[in-house]
Amino acid sequence: MNGYLTYVAKRFGQFIFVVVTGVTLAFLIAHFSPVDPIEQTVSLLTNFGSTDPRSVEILRQSLRELYGTDGSLLEQYLTFWGRVIRGDFGPSLSAFPTPVMTIISRALPWTVGLLTLATIISWVLGNTLGAIAGYFRNNRAMKVVGVLVMAMQPIPTYITGLTLVIVFGFLWPILPISGGAQLNLDPAMTWTYIQSVITHGTLPALTLVLVGMGGWFIAMRSLVSNIVTDDYVVYAELGGVPSRTIFSQYVARNAMLPQITGLALSLGNVFGGAVIVEFIFNYPGIGKLMVAGIYAGDYSLVLGVTTISIIAVAAAVFLIDILYPLIDPRVKLG
Amino acid sequence: MSLFKKIAIAAVASMLALPALAQDFIAGIPRNEALIIQGPTAQNADWFNIWAPGGGSNTNGLQQLTTDTLWFINPEGGPDAWQNALAAEPPIYNDDFTEMTVKLREGIFWSDGVEFTADDLVYTVQTQIDHPGMGWSAPFSINVASMEQPDRNTVIFKLKAPNSRFHTLFTVRWNAAWIMPKHVFEKVEDPLAFNNNPPISLSAYVLHNYDKAGNWAIWKLRDDWQRTSIGMDWGQPEVKYVVYAASGNPEARVIAQRNHNLDVINDIAPEGMFSIMRDAPSTAAWLPGFPFAHPDPTLPSVLFNLQKEPFNNKDVRWALTLLIDIRAVALGSYRGAANLSALAVPPTGSAPDDYFVPMQDWLANFELDTGARTIKPYDPGLAGQLANMVRGQWPDIPTDEAQLQRMFGFGWWKQDVQAATELLQKAGFTKNGNQWLKPDGTPFEIRVQVEGDAIPTLARAGTVIAQQWSQAGIKATVDVAGPTHGQRMGTGDFETAIFWTVETWGGHPDLSFFLDSYRSDFIKPLGEIQPPRNLQRWEDPRLDEIIDKNRSLAFDSQEVTALGIDFLKLAVEEMPMIPLMAYNKFAPFDTTYWTNYPSAANPYAASGPFWSNLRYMVVSLKANPDAPK
Repeated sequence: MNGYLTYVAKRFGQFIFVVVTGVTLAFLIAHFSPVDPIEQTVSLLTNFGSTDPRSVEILRQSLRELYGTDGSLLEQYLTFWGRVIRGDFGPSLSAFPTPVMTIISRALPWTVGLLTLATIISWVLGNTLGAIAGYFRNNRAMKVVGVLVMAMQPIPTYITGLTLVIVFGFLWPILPISGGAQLNLDPAMTWTYIQSVITHGTLPALTLVLVGMGGWFIAMRSLVSNIVTDDYVVYAELGGVPSRTIFSQYVARNAMLPQITGLALSLGNVFGGAVIVEFIFNYPGIGKLMVAGIYAGDYSLVLGVTTISIIAVAAAVFLIDILYPLIDPRVKLG
Repeated sequence: MSLFKKIAIAAVASMLALPALAQDFIAGIPRNEALIIQGPTAQNADWFNIWAPGGGSNTNGLQQLTTDTLWFINPEGGPDAWQNALAAEPPIYNDDFTEMTVKLREGIFWSDGVEFTADDLVYTVQTQIDHPGMGWSAPFSINVASMEQPDRNTVIFKLKAPNSRFHTLFTVRWNAAWIMPKHVFEKVEDPLAFNNNPPISLSAYVLHNYDKAGNWAIWKLRDDWQRTSIGMDWGQPEVKYVVYAASGNPEARVIAQRNHNLDVINDIAPEGMFSIMRDAPSTAAWLPGFPFAHPDPTLPSVLFNLQKEPFNNKDVRWALTLLIDIRAVALGSYRGAANLSALAVPPTGSAPDDYFVPMQDWLANFELDTGARTIKPYDPGLAGQLANMVRGQWPDIPTDEAQLQRMFGFGWWKQDVQAATELLQKAGFTKNGNQWLKPDGTPFEIRVQVEGDAIPTLARAGTVIAQQWSQAGIKATVDVAGPTHGQRMGTGDFETAIFWTVETWGGHPDLSFFLDSYRSDFIKPLGEIQPPRNLQRWEDPRLDEIIDKNRSLAFDSQEVTALGIDFLKLAVEEMPMIPLMAYNKFAPFDTTYWTNYPSAANPYAASGPFWSNLRYMVVSLKANPDAPK
């Protein structure tokens, strides 16, 4: 048990190191961005209006004081860490003074819901079909499935998404192509709202599933193809063990281990958002928020999103690391 | 049944079941009572304090439907371009423009039933002066010495210095200083930290509901809409609800309109507009035929950084102008749907009648000394040539020259490579093979800075111009600056850029809207941030003289136009930027549910969804009797 605790402590140290390094890098990159949030706000306030140059100068100075963007990089870095520890990323600079956490907390459920569901569906579908295709290598139907999935795999996400928009939004308009729910519908645990969320999420989720399934399919099929030639499988076949048992208990189960690792990592990534899909479907998620923050030079918002994403991925890796020895006894501790 | 078949049947069954989940487009609001407008995604959806920086989305209906101020100018021009809103009459100045008196209308009420009075106006100005950082704090602080309130409907502004354009702070083209509700804000400790949610309205609509994630905001017609300035002048609106909805990428917007779920699109690429106008008979546009577009009162130009060599040399600037074939630029950027401008004002609103028509003779006779000879570079027939180039694709384009001028512009500069060569030689340039060398012997290289995808038409224009300069022996490259475009121009970190530094009222000949910022005392050295407008840092004593004289004239003085013509002549002679064309906006309207949208034939209001003048369109729309029930 001591060995396991030492192992966990070491992995936790790695987790902290990864988070601190990642967040520091994100801080530096965000602050070295050439886009100045003050100038973006000045531009917003003076665009299209008749603006006296003297007024603009005064406005700029007032905003610097109001936004608190003065101070050295080190001072801002230390302040930032103080805020991260309190779970507060300060006010958004592009939506001042709305707190960054408020903005993120509105977008996060949409992204986490969509990506978690899409990741799990594509994982289950990809692995199931991949395992069947690997085991029944000579089945014609599975060969067709293999060709289709392989053909989908290299198609860029935006092509798949736009195709779905055109097919189900225009040619056969049965699904909404924009937004997370119906207009004028307030979030509530009612069937009307849930139904609206499901219909609005169908095309984004389908895009992610179609694009994401291929990777799982290919990996699983090759894993299973290798395992079916292993001695213990051949022995089981010769021993008259039923095919279904061999497939589920001997082959798929053993092939599953690396795929579970992959699933955990993918689930960690859901906090980073799916920028392209959210953009195509105008989905109110974290990816779209991130892009808006970058364009507006809102480094508070960008840092908030990236920090959450870094912590989520690092936490997923940490969890896998500490759970793996319990699942797979071959993993050596220490 | 095989597993494969089971999966296939399940998939088909679920697809067929999907239509059963279909819902109305807007929950709880009949479609034929709602006008749906393309809106933005507002991250600060809870904020309705339009007077605090970043704290009030001005593009989701708040500014367009609930605010009001003293005066409006219809950017489309016409005899009724000037509109008294909260003011009962135009501003009254004293002789030396140190005092402005405003008479307010009576009988106007906020949506919570409190009457609007001079108290609100005085409070708006004083509160902003007291709180630096509020949107209009700085201009009020600079201008206002004190205010007097002789009665509940009159305010006298005493100014710190003469200013004949002080009223423009309260005059809307796109926006202006909106009046604050005193009875709401006076109870607030810090008006910069107050979210003003829910906002009360001084105009005909009031907030109905909004998405906290910022994807939509819905505004409802006030029961007492008659007690607003717009209600008093424009009669009963038929649109009951106005929905600003974030509508996604351009493809999604076009599809949404084809499905009759988006009545007003703000702006799409020319290709999207052409497609929608060809295939959707229910769509209306500013012009009924090609080029369909609405010319905004902004003027995309090639900006030169005049503080960098060799762009500080007039001959070089003119040479670069004469290397441009504007027809190719119009085709490359707008697929021919461009409205050309040789003058430094956009050819829209009242400008064609105020400036373009009166200056045609001068332009035709304008002479340029190339160093080897004198040429007349203006070609008044370029609009006709442009029309001929696209007529094969759009056979309905008229042939009447006067009509073509309003659609494609009044003319531009002839491409004249020989004259450009002579001008460059005059400036001391030499040619080595096909490569131009600067007077110091180094290759003549130019970076053409463009924003990129955010304004694709202008990025395309920059690319075509860079190609044309390259063909002439100049190493021209396109520099896509993305979101840093504005900042880089501000600090002078560019050589040439495609952008606009000229914007006008549109509906009034006065050029102070942009020209006042051009005075030389506002010009900063490279590296320091130049205030908006004169990003090319053009400095000329003759220009200062024009600006000073304009400041001394009343806004409606007859001399304003003559002074504007002086400015335009100087801009042609000096060519501090190369005016290209109006910013043509493609804003298709779906007439399935609403009709009577503004158009070139009926230009009663601005058509851009983010313009405050849009309120006049909203209240003028008529319900289509043939709309689906």
